[in-house]
Amino acid sequence: MALEEVYKGENVDEVVELLDKYGKDAKIIAGGTDIVIDLRNNRIDPKVLIDISSIEELKGIKDKGEYIEIGAGVSFTQVVENPLFERNLYGLNKACHMVGSPQIRNKGTLGGNIANGSPAADSIPPLICLNSTLILKSVRGRREISIEDYYKDENEKIRPDELLVSIGFKKPKENQVLSFAKLGLRKALAISRLSIAILVELDEEGKIINIEVASGSLGKYPMRELELEQFLLGKKLEDSTVDEGVLVLQRAMEKRLAGRSTFPYKRVAVDRMFREALEEAMKYLDEVRL
Amino acid sequence: MKEIQLNVNGKDYSLNIDENMRLIDLLRDKLGLLGTKEGCGEGECGACTVIMDGETVTSCLVMAFQAHGSEILTIEGLESNGKIHPIQQAFIDVGAVQCGFCTPGMIMSAKALLDKNPNPTREEIREGISGNLCRCTGYNKIVDGVELAINYIEEGK
Amino acid sequence: MKFDIVGKNIIRTDAYSKVTGKALYPQDIYMDNMVYGKTLRSKLPHAYIDIDTSEAEKIEGVIKIFTYKDVPNNSHGVVFKDHEVFCEKKVRRIGDPIAFVVGETEEVCKLALDKIKVDYKELEGVFDPEIAMDENSPKVHGDSNIVYHFKIRKGDIEEGFKNSYVIAENTYKTHMVEHAFLQPEAGVSLIDEEGRVTVMVATQYPHYDREEVASALNIKEEEVRIVNTNIGGAFGGREDISLQIHLALAAYTLKRPVKVVYSREESFIAHAKRHPMIMKCKTGADKDGKLLAMEAEIIGDTGAYASWAPNVLRKAGVHITGPYYIPNVVVDSYAVYTNNPFAGAMRGFGATQVPIAHEQQMDILAEKLGMDPISIRMINIFKQGSVTATGQVLTESVPVEACIKEVVKRMDLFGEEGHNEETW
Repeated sequence: MALEEVYKGENVDEVVELLDKYGKDAKIIAGGTDIVIDLRNNRIDPKVLIDISSIEELKGIKDKGEYIEIGAGVSFTQVVENPLFERNLYGLNKACHMVGSPQIRNKGTLGGNIANGSPAADSIPPLICLNSTLILKSVRGRREISIEDYYKDENEKIRPDELLVSIGFKKPKENQVLSFAKLGLRKALAISRLSIAILVELDEEGKIINIEVASGSLGKYPMRELELEQFLLGKKLEDSTVDEGVLVLQRAMEKRLAGRSTFPYKRVAVDRMFREALEEAMKYLDEVRL
Repeated sequence: MKEIQLNVNGKDYSLNIDENMRLIDLLRDKLGLLGTKEGCGEGECGACTVIMDGETVTSCLVMAFQAHGSEILTIEGLESNGKIHPIQQAFIDVGAVQCGFCTPGMIMSAKALLDKNPNPTREEIREGISGNLCRCTGYNKIVDGVELAINYIEEGK
Repeated sequence: MKFDIVGKNIIRTDAYSKVTGKALYPQDIYMDNMVYGKTLRSKLPHAYIDIDTSEAEKIEGVIKIFTYKDVPNNSHGVVFKDHEVFCEKKVRRIGDPIAFVVGETEEVCKLALDKIKVDYKELEGVFDPEIAMDENSPKVHGDSNIVYHFKIRKGDIEEGFKNSYVIAENTYKTHMVEHAFLQPEAGVSLIDEEGRVTVMVATQYPHYDREEVASALNIKEEEVRIVNTNIGGAFGGREDISLQIHLALAAYTLKRPVKVVYSREESFIAHAKRHPMIMKCKTGADKDGKLLAMEAEIIGDTGAYASWAPNVLRKAGVHITGPYYIPNVVVDSYAVYTNNPFAGAMRGFGATQVPIAHEQQMDILAEKLGMDPISIRMINIFKQGSVTATGQVLTESVPVEACIKEVVKRMDLFGEEGHNEETW
């Protein structure tokens, strides 16, 4: 690597001006947990590195009543330690808790997890279930894109002069819950083999009246599992429904992954992961109802 | 070259550093703090763990310029008044040391854990050191060492 | 007798230096006037090479680039001298050392590595040890890939199987394993005050290293010193030469301290692995579960170099019968060259791979006989006085029977009903 200039950004305005000046020659560094490896392996070769890890305005978790806004520089540790994510947003806590190791969680940020576009990023499926919005800033102003579009739409990317400043989503209602399950090769420091996040709401009879399922590492990018959602909507969660739900999910992933060496394994593993996420969601909902 | 200021083990430094330098390189090559080890260079092994502004980081994944304005604590900074830290003493006493290459990083993770949670369970200790690999696989003794350190700290040893 | 050490908790003498970070590993050694070295390694598993260092030598800060031409005796190896210090005509695996750049900084050395031209004429490689045993397969060294063949012949195997009531016949495979000791290879070499070539390195065999360095440099052993620093784990992975001769050669030639630190990636590529083994086992027992015969073929893939292959495959052959008395035994254990990463010592030295085979054979026989897996073992287990397949009489303590009984007890394997131990 051969960096010519490095900046320690003090505020967002300064950073977007630097991005405007250097454009594609510049890279943002926050936690550095991925980018330092890429730099050293010459996978990227920017001339300029702009550090945003000390910018206070990117580090807040704001409870805005109906909404929550998480600064792009918030670390996984900060999410794990915040009581906002203890109850029906537990899925986000769990996803962030399963990232890397204590050291990686202390440094790695939610914004970085999104901005580097890894298909295995642990925090993304829960954020997709929450229909999160990415808030971007540049000298041209402010722009919002939906996190789902960010992954699936080639035209909805973060532009070279833009900085991801925060991630916003509407709080789920008290009778809705976000859950998460991840399969890694070991407990710590494992990149997801696959992950499942579920946001679900039941009516009084136990029928699903709202459900969003998002997966990680079951396709080119983290995505909603629409066929599974459609199948489950309006149904009671009986064993046979869950069994059939697994088949629906397996069929959907087969279309995307057939022929890949990892598919036979993931096809089997997804069963347990889906059930784990669902069981944890039901456990919470049962407690709320009591 | 870039000039940065930082505090390492209680001492202020103003240094001219290469833009491409990592924090581990700064500590080892610039300051001669050789207790911080490089085992993998990609944040997997934890041998390079130091405490940065109160939290553990793998110093191989921090660029040196990012540490401008930070307080860094390394294994060399744990001694006070000529006495080693209770965690270090406990590691010696229970035999938590084998090849020793993971030991400084392991102790820094244990220190950060006990600073935050002075009375962790065995499971919490295991999680606290989950970012540090010991290839001699002496994990049980290491967890014993951290447990003993809890007692030493309570006794003011 | 009164003991001062045995039975007591003793504080390690190196514990204090290790918990304080003061213990020095080779990468922690810095010297005045020190220069750095980096190794150019083969990118192909099997090829003829032609090397041109002229462009790289022009880079400012490059002091010398060593190749096979600079080594007085270009071979080394713990059992067979089949390694080259630097490959001359042919590379046999990905990662074979081809050249060693010494420069003022590590950065300069990296630039030089990119500028060394290696013209590879790729050869057909062999990566499957069973194929490698075929006469017509590509040869890694010389005219046969079979490095070693260990045999056991005991009793009458045909008679043993003829009398067997059940026979289990299966093939088991184990994979290559990396030691991943936490401290990647590193070393510093210099000429000491008495004029000796000195290599400070973390090694398992300072005395072998000394022999190998002296032999490669064609100097007397008295002129070579190996200083063992603290060793950041080894597990067998530091039994072969890695950077010792490169370093010694550079310091001997340049009369300056030279330092090398491998990255984790280079460490993975540079040193040996655990031998992957293919184990074909046929085991027969009578109606009561008493073992009557075992026939085993073990094929160990030693990759491009023998390293400790004869010792490892001998040990695997000796242990394939497990801790059981078997009257009729045939074992053929082979070590085979391929163009895979080379295999050598790793924790257990061949005894680690075979239990997956002999123990599953026992479970399968028990299942066929409708026995429980403990009873079939207790009938056949080695006791004091037992004779092994190699004819060794076990005269000393053989506590395996007591061990299994204790395991059964503590795991409460047979529940409250207990187990009729008389059948054992």
